[in-house]
Amino acid sequence: MDYQINVEKLSFSYDLKKVLRQVNMSISKGGFFCIVGPNGSGKSTLLRVISAVLKPQEGAVYFEGKNINGMKSRSVARLLSFVPQNTSLEFDFKVSDVVLMGRYPYVNKLKGESGQDFEIAEKAMEYTNTTHLKDRSFMELSGGERQRVILAQALAQDTDILILDEPVSHLDLQHQVEILNLIKKMCVDRKLTAITVLHDLNLASAYSDYIVMMRDGEIKRQGTPFETLTAAGIKEIFDTDVYVSVSPVGNKPYIYALARPEIKKIGIRVHVICGGGSGSEIIGRLHSEGFDLSSGVLTIGDLDWKVSKENDVQIAEEVPFVGISGEAYAKNKELAAIADAIVLTGLYLGKSNIRNLELLLEKDLEDKPLFILEDESFPERDYTGGTAFQLYEKVKTVKRTMLVESKMLKEEIIKAVKAYENR
Amino acid sequence: MKIDNKRNWFMGVFLIVFLIVSLIFAAATGAVKISASEIIAILTKGDDTVNASILMEIRLPRVLLAAVLGAGLAAVGGVMQAIFKNPLVDSYTLGMSSGAALGAVLSILTGINISILGIKTTGVFAFAGAVLTLFFVYSLAYTRNRMSINSLLLSGVAVSYFLASVISFLMMLNHDKIEHIVFWTMGSLSMATWDEFFISSVLTIPSLAVLMYYTRELNILVMGEDAAHHLGINTFALKTTLLITCAVIVGSVVSTGGTIAFLGLVAPHIIRLIVGSDNKKVIPYSALMGSILLVLADTAGRVLIQPAEIPVGVMTSIMGGPFFIFLLKKQKN
Repeated sequence: MDYQINVEKLSFSYDLKKVLRQVNMSISKGGFFCIVGPNGSGKSTLLRVISAVLKPQEGAVYFEGKNINGMKSRSVARLLSFVPQNTSLEFDFKVSDVVLMGRYPYVNKLKGESGQDFEIAEKAMEYTNTTHLKDRSFMELSGGERQRVILAQALAQDTDILILDEPVSHLDLQHQVEILNLIKKMCVDRKLTAITVLHDLNLASAYSDYIVMMRDGEIKRQGTPFETLTAAGIKEIFDTDVYVSVSPVGNKPYIYALARPEIKKIGIRVHVICGGGSGSEIIGRLHSEGFDLSSGVLTIGDLDWKVSKENDVQIAEEVPFVGISGEAYAKNKELAAIADAIVLTGLYLGKSNIRNLELLLEKDLEDKPLFILEDESFPERDYTGGTAFQLYEKVKTVKRTMLVESKMLKEEIIKAVKAYENR
Repeated sequence: MKIDNKRNWFMGVFLIVFLIVSLIFAAATGAVKISASEIIAILTKGDDTVNASILMEIRLPRVLLAAVLGAGLAAVGGVMQAIFKNPLVDSYTLGMSSGAALGAVLSILTGINISILGIKTTGVFAFAGAVLTLFFVYSLAYTRNRMSINSLLLSGVAVSYFLASVISFLMMLNHDKIEHIVFWTMGSLSMATWDEFFISSVLTIPSLAVLMYYTRELNILVMGEDAAHHLGINTFALKTTLLITCAVIVGSVVSTGGTIAFLGLVAPHIIRLIVGSDNKKVIPYSALMGSILLVLADTAGRVLIQPAEIPVGVMTSIMGGPFFIFLLKKQKN
């Protein structure tokens, strides 16, 4: 495959500090390339070397086969434009003047800007929706508007490559999306190659065709979002555990940061009977409220099973579609027996998990406080032709069973456990 | 955009007319009054009266010298403010003028005062002083490929104070030449001659042309060093060219008129308030404005407390300081 840009064995150091080590990468035309990595990993330096601001000590950057460091600065300026994190001017210029500066690499010094230059600048403003700002002073604009004006300037520069260093880090969500949409549109409409550093991994995932992951001046991984943004990949680069799922919009990886603050345990153990996602919220909440938790019987791969895993919850588990085996049933019973209370969530019941209800009628568990979270919708969740419903009605008559609203759950559990101890 | 151009054109014509009127007014004013019509008569016919010799030998060289130096200082101020992207920078805050003054003082004290092709050693010393100081201040502020504007200003002011005290110390040691040195530190045009006018014109006017040639690049430099680089400007070469040119102007100003404060700071700001920040306009108009201000300041200094004279450097500070504060306040509102 023919690449537009080839970065070969690039090394760069500031004084004695090595910032880039043997970086290799290839970039094809018209794509959205993203560089991610922790602060100080060399991302910005890499951008500055690619755009010929810095000269590498070793290796080179080739644009369509030509070494970029051998080119005149004016030729480089016709090849690539740059958008920084934010731009502030000490002296005030009108928006139209700022955009027109993008024509500098083409302007004849003695003749000044031609009619064509003005036309191109005006088109660039139309494209970036900044025409209405053209007589305003640049410094009066909001951060998002300024970034659009700088994009208009880059567009007026009429280059094949657009390099961006954290272009949206200073903006709110609305403007982040607006600017990234605009860049993506430029890639598609104009066959522009965008090379950008982004901090937000989910934005990187949503917009990038190709992602390069850097750490300590080296490229550790590169590839499509699915190839790079895995839990293991992110752990390697950022030293952080995350949960990666697939974004329901756009079919790209979606990264969840795991909120795991130091939680003070309150010394009460709760067993949650759930499944199919009915227990996820409760497990997350009880966990963050300091309860020790167990759950069961869950099929492996079930949403509640995943959430339990993520929150270090003990699980009575079973392989999918076989029903609850004796072994799993016993484990579930064991976990319920050592808990101080049991919670039954609004789970769907079918042939394979009906034994979760049978458990609640066990003689040994008669004294355990049992909290039922969802009552009304039970018939709709019953796929056993009424067997489950009969069992459920029986469970409700067990002496320490309570119907409770989920927001009251913590208080009710503590109350019940105390009453049990003081009996 | 059309209205803008009209306004700018008007502004340029207005400044040129104002400068000519100022020049005539300055030539007419003094201990001996010479009317405007008499000035024109002397200039066209070459009369041989007392007034004619006062005009031709004393006033005219002085007034014209003021115009050239004023233009040079104001343009340098405007250019340096744009290069360093800071409205407080000029040849004073970066120590260039103190360096040039020290160079001039050293040439007086060592007695090396010969003239080669009309350029006196004082001028060469002043230029060398300006360049060396600039280089020193610059290298203090420049670390790891980055220059912090704060450390540039701080080191500029610190070096400036240091050089000023070196000059004071030299004055203390050389009582006999103190008057000569004070002339340099306060800034005065009272010794103006045709020779001085010609030499500083030869140095300043081509330098001004160089500065004007790069005004488009100066605009882009305001966007930041990286941005300028990405638009195809070799920022290092550009800045070096501009700063050396500025040093030539400052050296020529200081060696003929001493250190004249505030003009380089104030003139570009007045122009910016009227025409905005576009350096294609700011630099030439500032030069005109600087000429007008220095010609008027020098004239005021000559006549206010006759028969004594207020050095023009003192006049520019007295007039420039409060005006600058007024401008700042007005801008805030």
